[in-house]
Amino acid sequence: MRNWLVGLLIVGLVSFLGCQAQDRSTGQTQRAPRELKVAVAAPFTGNAAAFGEMIRRGAELRAKEINDAGGINGMKFTLVFEDDAGKDAEASLVAERIANNLQILAVVGHFNSSCSLAGKPIYQRAGIVELSPGSTNVTVCEGSDWTFRNLYRDDFQGKFIAQYIDKILTDLQSVAVFFDNDDYGRGLRNAFVEEAEKIGLDLVASEAYDRDNTDFKAQLTSIKAKNPDAVFISGLYTEAGLIAKQAREAGITSQFFGADGVDSPDFLTIAGEAAEGTYLTTPFTFGAAGEDALQMAANFENLHGVAPDTWAALTYDAVGMIADALEKTYNSEAAVADNRKAIRDHLASLDTPEEGYKGVTGLTYFDINGDTVNKPAYVKIVKAGQFVAADQQLLELN
Amino acid sequence: MAQFLEQIINGLVLGGIYALIAVGYTMVYGIIQLINFAHGEIFMFGAYIALMLVTVFGIPFWVALPLSMVLCGMLGMLMDLVAYRPLRNAPRLSALITAIGMSLALQNLARMIWSARPRQFPAEVLPTIFLSQNAISLPGGASLPYRDVFIILLALILMVALNRLIYLTKIGKAMRACAQNPVAANLMGIKTNRVIAITFIIGSALGAVAGVMVGLREVVTPTMGYYKGVAAFAAAVLGGIGNITGAMLGGIIIGLAEVFGAGYISSGYRLAIAYIIMIAVIVIRPSGLFGRSTGHRA
Repeated sequence: MRNWLVGLLIVGLVSFLGCQAQDRSTGQTQRAPRELKVAVAAPFTGNAAAFGEMIRRGAELRAKEINDAGGINGMKFTLVFEDDAGKDAEASLVAERIANNLQILAVVGHFNSSCSLAGKPIYQRAGIVELSPGSTNVTVCEGSDWTFRNLYRDDFQGKFIAQYIDKILTDLQSVAVFFDNDDYGRGLRNAFVEEAEKIGLDLVASEAYDRDNTDFKAQLTSIKAKNPDAVFISGLYTEAGLIAKQAREAGITSQFFGADGVDSPDFLTIAGEAAEGTYLTTPFTFGAAGEDALQMAANFENLHGVAPDTWAALTYDAVGMIADALEKTYNSEAAVADNRKAIRDHLASLDTPEEGYKGVTGLTYFDINGDTVNKPAYVKIVKAGQFVAADQQLLELN
Repeated sequence: MAQFLEQIINGLVLGGIYALIAVGYTMVYGIIQLINFAHGEIFMFGAYIALMLVTVFGIPFWVALPLSMVLCGMLGMLMDLVAYRPLRNAPRLSALITAIGMSLALQNLARMIWSARPRQFPAEVLPTIFLSQNAISLPGGASLPYRDVFIILLALILMVALNRLIYLTKIGKAMRACAQNPVAANLMGIKTNRVIAITFIIGSALGAVAGVMVGLREVVTPTMGYYKGVAAFAAAVLGGIGNITGAMLGGIIIGLAEVFGAGYISSGYRLAIAYIIMIAVIVIRPSGLFGRSTGHRA
């Protein structure tokens, strides 16, 4: 009985591998697939899981709309969700799995900069597009023709925050930076510090934290001793929420400033009252968006029962861009590698405002690296337990 | 000065929590020479159980805390019964690998039940004394929340109680006997399996208290047992694994080292500094501060 089972398993495995091998050797798919698969790689568990949830929902909404409208050239558009838990080691495994799955044509993801960086060489080697709706570290798209993103970089964001504090929040003279010791947190801190020094903001402290820890009292006590007017938290919402809370407990009365990593409703629930008055930057806000974004928000609420956030909107656009590329380039006769490459070539061809993709988060087009450099940053503030657009926006940087 | 005072308090609170967890590692090791890697997960379950008791079942906090200790004690006993007792006479490595497996299984179980989203004790279910605005003002503008006083005092009381239990009661004597020589203890009529079960219960109950404390100060997540568990394990090794007084002191030392390392040296290497101190101690005294280099563990 057991031998019989093992035999069956081997036969099954061999025939499966055989088909795969044939796929590769002839470079031809056996028959036209009935569905087109795209992976969405994001942190569905772990410290950034709230982002992952919104990313999943945004992607699901776009896929549903595409399929309700008849799919892509008559073929069903299917998403494959892969969880990287927000950790670079996990992201490498996920990237390998995706790259080796010859049914998957492109990747929307990853979210965390560390994860996008970990996946980059693997996607490049395999020749599959990585389109991130959330990674802002400066180096994410560098050195690979296959990595793109549809939002700004941290050198812009860090500079923006420093200038916003300098020009608009003029009461704030001294700033302490408290940063997550990973690619995102460090990169953003460096950009901020560089600009702050240039424009003469008084930097009184720069402390790091480790994302696995949830006790920040030691560093906060040091920051408190420097008595800064503002504390810039360069990290993600879970830790930022706890930092805000523990800082108020420790008697720090400074103004908090965060970046897009803090832009999640979960920041409000974790920090509670301590969130009040916190400023943060974001690549997109529904408050300053057009007609189609509001329509998307309404559809999102119909489908999921909650309001979308920034990341849902950026993912919605990223999935839309990939679907658009598939519609224009997919050839069911061609090999997987060629179809994957056609998507890349299409994205790379979107290099001027005229060619750009018009999505709910605005116009997206890429520079030579695959970065989006035209999108502005918005400033939000927490008022009465809600994110609202700040009264004064900074439209141009020096 | 205020900063120094506050850092001392931060370190003592953290150290008290580490000490409570470290005792669980060291007690189990003292008796069955097993490094129970799943102990950090018991600590995490302690926090979740208390959280569920107060939020879902509406039980007052003062009842939920001891109840969580009891339930975690049961969980610890069950873990011994299911995972470790069958391997009592197997090579030590088998039990060690089982412990790592238990740790992963429990962590993922918690993720399945409660999701990976961090949770907190809602302010309205806590006794008002625990709200962070209720604090003692210290000279120099520092403040000490009553909650942190409670954590330090409770850790101290439990440590003294445990010490008295080990040295003054019959079960304590039986535990010490098992630690010295389980076979001889068995021959003298001590039911070793029962003593081991009680060891697991006590260690897990103390871990549960630490879990609730961390839940009050910080946040409850399925992975919370990892960071604190590793630090507490370092504390147990520093104090001399198998030695309860050593674990208590080791906890305090690691807590203070972590806080002062982060506060005065470099915050990027917070835990690394604590580990360097541990390694330095181990290099000078390979069996830890209180461990005996020869003979039996006690």
